[in-house]
Amino acid sequence: MSREALVNNGPITEKPKNLGELLTAIFKNVYVLYAISIICFLLLWDTMAVMKVLGRFLPRPVEVLYQLYDMLVNPLAGKTLMLHLWFSLRRVLIAFVIAVAIGVPIGLLMGFSPYFNAFFKPVFDLFKPMPPIAWISLAILWFGIGETSKIFIIIIGAVVPCIINSYNGIRLVDPELYDCIRMLGGNQRQEVVEVTFPAAFPAIFAGIQISLSMAWTTVLAAELVGAREGMGFIIITGMNQSKPAMIISGMVVIALTAWAISLVVTHLERWVCPWKTNLE
Amino acid sequence: MEDKSGVKKPKIECVNISKFFGEGQEKIHVLDTIDLAVKENEFIVVLGPGQSGKSTLLKIIAGLYKPSTGKAYLDGKELTHPGPDRGIVFQRYTLFPWKTVMGNVEMGPKLRGVPRKERRGLASRYIDLVGLKGFEKAYPHQLSGGMKQRVGIARAYVNNPKVMLLDEPFGQLDAQTRYFMEEETVRIWETEKRTVIFVTNNIEEAVYLGDRIAVLEGKMPGKLKKIYDVNLPRPRDYTDPAFLELRHTITEETELTL
Repeated sequence: MSREALVNNGPITEKPKNLGELLTAIFKNVYVLYAISIICFLLLWDTMAVMKVLGRFLPRPVEVLYQLYDMLVNPLAGKTLMLHLWFSLRRVLIAFVIAVAIGVPIGLLMGFSPYFNAFFKPVFDLFKPMPPIAWISLAILWFGIGETSKIFIIIIGAVVPCIINSYNGIRLVDPELYDCIRMLGGNQRQEVVEVTFPAAFPAIFAGIQISLSMAWTTVLAAELVGAREGMGFIIITGMNQSKPAMIISGMVVIALTAWAISLVVTHLERWVCPWKTNLE
Repeated sequence: MEDKSGVKKPKIECVNISKFFGEGQEKIHVLDTIDLAVKENEFIVVLGPGQSGKSTLLKIIAGLYKPSTGKAYLDGKELTHPGPDRGIVFQRYTLFPWKTVMGNVEMGPKLRGVPRKERRGLASRYIDLVGLKGFEKAYPHQLSGGMKQRVGIARAYVNNPKVMLLDEPFGQLDAQTRYFMEEETVRIWETEKRTVIFVTNNIEEAVYLGDRIAVLEGKMPGKLKKIYDVNLPRPRDYTDPAFLELRHTITEETELTL
């Protein structure tokens, strides 16, 4: 809303009469403000790096860029940046698929059956607030430091939003929709097929979306302990070798990947629930 | 149910209907011993202020609520469950947001297992009837309130119900659209005659639409106060002296200030 207000105040709506008005118009344009925001941030960062405010462990932005290029071309621990990224993504995808396959059915069962809900909820409520990182030590004791323990931790993190959203999605269906389908002659099976699932679908999809970003956050934590590849490994290596540029490069790639994932998911949502567009 | 002694049986009959919600201390008395008979193809308006239980009465006829005492009958058969022999239109429209206009309207026949082509044809006819031709592929969120309610009306009509139940269908519309939809309601009803039970809190709307107006007394529990016959020719005119007089009478006698 506020963004629209900003755009509408932009320079296109009225022709500026003098220089003062022109400048005001320019500085009220959101895209100009976006650019200013980023430039200010980079300048502040660069100044702090040059003045060594944080000691010698804050590299300049250009150094980070160079480090990024270096890792893309020259392998680190036998793998280039893209390969490290791929290893992290693979863990995320495997764990994510398993988490959805477990979490959505459990959540649906909880939503459909008050008995199953009463049976499952106390245990779930106990485990729900535990941060997935708390499981790392246990996972390593149980599964060693291989792939299994990492995937296990990611599943722990990603399964929770799937369960919660599927459960709430079923529970919060507008009851009048059920009245409506009954009046139209629907039987119990048709109620589920024609109302429950489609009505709960956006909530379930939102849960899956949160699961994916949880998985991406958790993979880093998992890789910080005993990984030989992956984005977490790059960050840890940067710390061990006192190369802050490497750490920040890793952080930048992680952020960009998360952004790309959310972009894909948003488009996917528009495609699978077309009725949700323009709902805001 | 009664003997067939030449007198035409009522289409819908409510006998001694009371309704309580809740238990013990929180028990609320919503409807008190309602008796009401509706003739075939009659347009009856149930008029009452908020909290008079008029929507509850409609939902009992719909079979969505069970009466605490008394019974509702359709063609002499007791109504206990919802079913497609009664078409319902909701105040909040309650369209399926994931279905297009066509998808919403064809839902009834689809649930009955009518083949796709046939039910599309059927639905198209009613989409035309309510004046939504060309909007078949639109989703509900793309429609205005009045258009949404047209979809609601078409969706109810397509099942060829014996009775149409409308629960304050135009309560959320602006005044202009509301007048227009009232005209449309009469036009549609005259094209496809049905027994209609129309719930509203708007006296003007009641006088414009109804063959008879059943007034419920305000404040719970709702009691049937009086039934007015509206002997005005259609189409009715809001500014006709007879119209205004009846409107005035009902207002005076019921102290409905809405």
